Amino acid sequence: MSAVLIERGLAFVSSIVVGVTATFQLRNELPVRGLDAVVTKVLLALMILGCVLALLASVNVLGAAK
Amino acid sequence: MATTTLTGHAAVEARYNDVDPVYAETRDMRLLGFVLVLFSDCILFSSFIFAYLYLRTSAPVWPPFVDGHQLPRLDTAFAAVNSVVLFGSGVTMHFALENWKNLKKGAFNMWMILTIVLGIAFLGGQAHEYLSAQMTWQGSAFGASFFTLTGMHGFHVFVGVVYLTVLLVQANRGVYTGSKYFGLTAGTLYWHFVDVIWVLLFYLFYLW
Repeated sequence: MSAVLIERGLAFVSSIVVGVTATFQLRNELPVRGLDAVVTKVLLALMILGCVLALLASVNVLGAAK
Repeated sequence: MATTTLTGHAAVEARYNDVDPVYAETRDMRLLGFVLVLFSDCILFSSFIFAYLYLRTSAPVWPPFVDGHQLPRLDTAFAAVNSVVLFGSGVTMHFALENWKNLKKGAFNMWMILTIVLGIAFLGGQAHEYLSAQMTWQGSAFGASFFTLTGMHGFHVFVGVVYLTVLLVQANRGVYTGSKYFGLTAGTLYWHFVDVIWVLLFYLFYLW
């Protein structure tokens, strides 16, 4: 098994785990009020987007195929 | 007194509000000030990102040619793993703060240490990227943009690792309590911010 394949598999699994966990964190944060909570929600949502990008990169939908 | 009978968010909110008015007011002002610091950092990154966008969109081909050879695209697979390491550290940092709010100091310490370790692992991954990159800082617009932006981001991660280590030591020395923990909130916001900047850089340099 090539190193690239291992890296892609690792990125695929870990991006799902981290993305799902961050989604649950965002859901728990929704009822919280205050400026820090608002900023945290926005940043968590963008982080989930990052996980989606990493997931798409791991399956070669985005980025250069190698 | 009411905090002992409340659970979850209600208990955390009750403890959060159980401070003297002067502290509550200065906490709000410090929070606003810190958010403005993050916003100014956004401007800093934006200026470099727009410079990169200009260079990229005005070039006939991308990656550009250097000495008659086109530069290769960056390794997406390794960068994806390294990105998830950083995003994972954002998740662990969030867990750390939530545990502190719920007065679980042992779990807080564990998640903070894990966050710091993941931050260091990301920096190690970046060092590996730099060593294996087939371009130099001064060789092309691509190399200059890549090393400047990712280097600036890496410096922010390094500062974040030091910052979180200081927060961990302070928390264990009793600087923060269940109702007064602004430093930990600021540290969490900073770390999430560093994560989010990487989302953009990851897309621009590796996926676009």
